[in-house]
Amino acid sequence: MLKYVIKRVLMVIPVMIGVSIIVFSLMRVFSPDPAPIVLGQHATQESITTWRHANGLDAPVINQYFTYISHALKGDLGTSYYTKSSVAREIGARFPATIELAVAAILFATVLGVLLGVMAAVKKNSIFDAAGSLFALIGVSIPIFWLGIMLIMLFAGFLHILPSGGRINVMLEPAHVTGFYMIDAAIQGNWDGFKDAGWHLILPALTLGMYSMAIITRMTRSSMLDTLGQDYIRTARAKGISETKVIGKHALRNSLIPVTTVIGLQFGALLGGALLTESVFSWPGIGKYTVDSILKSDFPVVQGIVLLVAVIFVTINLIADLGYAFLDPRIKYSSKKEG
Amino acid sequence: MKRNVRSLALVLVVALCVAALAGCSASSGTKPTASAPTFKDTFTYAQGADPRGLDPALVDDGESSKIIVNIYEGLLKYAPDSTKVEPALAESWTISDDGLSYTFKLKQGVKFHDGTDFNADAVKFNIDRQLPPKVTADMGYAGFVFGSVKDVVVVDPSTVTINLNQKNTAFLANLAMSLAAPMVSPKALTDGNNSVMEAPVGTGPYKFVKWSKGENVVLVRNDDYWGEKAKTKNVVFRFISDNSARVLALNNGEVDMIDGIDATVVDKVTQGGDKLFEAPGMNVNYMAYNTTTAMFKDVAARKAVSQAINVDELVKSLYQGYSEKATTILPTFVPGYSADVQQVGYDEAAAKAGLAAAGIKKIHMIAYTNPRPYNAATGVALATAIQGYLQKVGVECTIDTFDWTTYKAKVKEGNYDIAFYGWIGDNGDPDNFLNLLADKDPSMNIARWQDPVYIDMIKKGLQTANGPERDAQYAAMEKYVAERAIWLPISHAKTLAAYGPKASGFNYHVTGNVFLSKAVVGQ
Repeated sequence: MLKYVIKRVLMVIPVMIGVSIIVFSLMRVFSPDPAPIVLGQHATQESITTWRHANGLDAPVINQYFTYISHALKGDLGTSYYTKSSVAREIGARFPATIELAVAAILFATVLGVLLGVMAAVKKNSIFDAAGSLFALIGVSIPIFWLGIMLIMLFAGFLHILPSGGRINVMLEPAHVTGFYMIDAAIQGNWDGFKDAGWHLILPALTLGMYSMAIITRMTRSSMLDTLGQDYIRTARAKGISETKVIGKHALRNSLIPVTTVIGLQFGALLGGALLTESVFSWPGIGKYTVDSILKSDFPVVQGIVLLVAVIFVTINLIADLGYAFLDPRIKYSSKKEG
Repeated sequence: MKRNVRSLALVLVVALCVAALAGCSASSGTKPTASAPTFKDTFTYAQGADPRGLDPALVDDGESSKIIVNIYEGLLKYAPDSTKVEPALAESWTISDDGLSYTFKLKQGVKFHDGTDFNADAVKFNIDRQLPPKVTADMGYAGFVFGSVKDVVVVDPSTVTINLNQKNTAFLANLAMSLAAPMVSPKALTDGNNSVMEAPVGTGPYKFVKWSKGENVVLVRNDDYWGEKAKTKNVVFRFISDNSARVLALNNGEVDMIDGIDATVVDKVTQGGDKLFEAPGMNVNYMAYNTTTAMFKDVAARKAVSQAINVDELVKSLYQGYSEKATTILPTFVPGYSADVQQVGYDEAAAKAGLAAAGIKKIHMIAYTNPRPYNAATGVALATAIQGYLQKVGVECTIDTFDWTTYKAKVKEGNYDIAFYGWIGDNGDPDNFLNLLADKDPSMNIARWQDPVYIDMIKKGLQTANGPERDAQYAAMEKYVAERAIWLPISHAKTLAAYGPKASGFNYHVTGNVFLSKAVVGQ
């Protein structure tokens, strides 16, 4: 097990190198020169040259890369070209919003997904099964930005019962402690703020969690069906245990193992992949920031975010894999050959 | 089956509850705050993006500028409905006979938001940081605003003299700008290591409270303001990047005013019960002849092509009322504008004759593919429309199209007969527009026209004091350019904003800034 952990941790290194090289080269090949964007309408050739030199952009790309990596290893992600403030600070200011949204989305996806999945499996080939599968199919096929826009139009534009975007009514915004508005508001006893933050979360969380919900529904259904066909379930039923107990205690627990992995991976994806949802809902997280920064050729910011997301993704993958081994004692990660 | 249906209903109810719970564990049936009536002591303004920063010396974008004008003030300001300069932190000024020294008498008793005094030392500090040797490459407007300054001399605490290297009448207009010119607290700058990007301290009607990145900037009324105090206690600038989402937030009552809208969402604004605000824009959208080509060296050839184009019809169909036809290069509210200037008029028959005489059969155009602030329809749409007019008179046009960044490079290369461009005014001075045609840099002067007489006129304009004489000089320059058909001015794009039925009192200025000290929202 330990060996496996070490091996998996070491594998992070080539992944990170690969990611950093890819993002570094993509930005430099496909993005327009940041100098005119940063310096504006009155930029002169001279000021552009000075600026490029000051930001090391006149050095060979290879040297730029090594300079960047050596700084990044020391924890210095550089300074945003556009706002001139530290990339780590800029990301730090936006990351809690992304986490808050991802947590809400994954909660929604998990609760609803597991529920629908179990229903579908237990009542196989019934109307529930069909409804659950249809819902899951819609969930995986519907384009996120379209869903977001439709929800906004319906709940904010037509019914006027939910806000169209943003995180909170600014006048109710709690002082930043953790950066998670619902938690901050609760700590400070600001219940109006707590509620308002919650209302703002509903539509983006639904939108963002829809795809994961569908995946979790499908996974739960198939895993549950698998389990329900096992001998021990038949035995449990034969023993006269109530159906609720059979499903809730014996079947569900065992079928949740693969579902847990999927939830973990989905959560990782949500943390880094909310570009569309955040843009549609003006959610001030790193997804929207990534889009804005790409448009402005803000190399240090884009690189910083991609590295961060890669680290998160790799870590969550790792945890999910290890958790899998932990939850299911039959799975052993050993370098020793079986036999 | 009946049981199934009942269970299905149960599942749906549970699912809905779970969905609500996942988003918010407090959906206890209370009315959401977002739909509650707007706070009467808060005016919320939504724009497309975060400001780049809030240090007027270090930014160059409109999003920053709109917030900056509510926090800071400069020595001078623009009149509410034009770009005429008026006193602000400077009560009065005198200009030396040689036009090289400007002495400003400062308002007394003005304090920065941090409690420090605004005085002649503060003026010197603010200008010195944008002059060599202190100026840095990222001070985008330092050169433009203070490029002609030699030094700043403190005469006494309420008098300061700014000496110039050369005569420059536009200098006064520069001092009214929202970039580079506003006065920042020297103490705040010293404390902030020469940057107040995220902690602005000015003398204006609003004080900075906080900036939640990606969300909003909050300002509160400066109760110690020297002038008329702001009407609304809090001003919030919210950032909503999508145009339709911004309109929806306005319709939903979440914000009181929005900007950056275009013709595509105008209907949604009015359908939602909100109002549209149209301001003339400080810009020009134009077509330029490459005067260095064999074809367009000749003024008759340029005139013939201009005669083929029905600008009036074109502007109406392309911009649907959201741009005005340009009769001059200068927008109407800029000093020096003259209604007497005549561009080459539409005359198909004369065009045919002229083109035949000049032997023009083929024209090579380049155009940009994206919308620009002065041309919402894109350069390609404009070029295609003009191609249509020229086809009618028997001239075949080829159009090469490029994205904006590439387009600028292509303009610099100069391989075209006709190109399209535009200009967004900086300081509301006529020189800011008309010197484009005298500029040596072909990426500014895309007609590549170098006329010694015109260059001389531009120089004289900069040396004449503001007033009727100077205005007449610029009118003469417009006429000179129009007679030679160097450009074909197409349009001035209007600035569009929208506001809720209960909002009023804001001043959406022709410079694109929005002054909110008199803005209010009814209960």
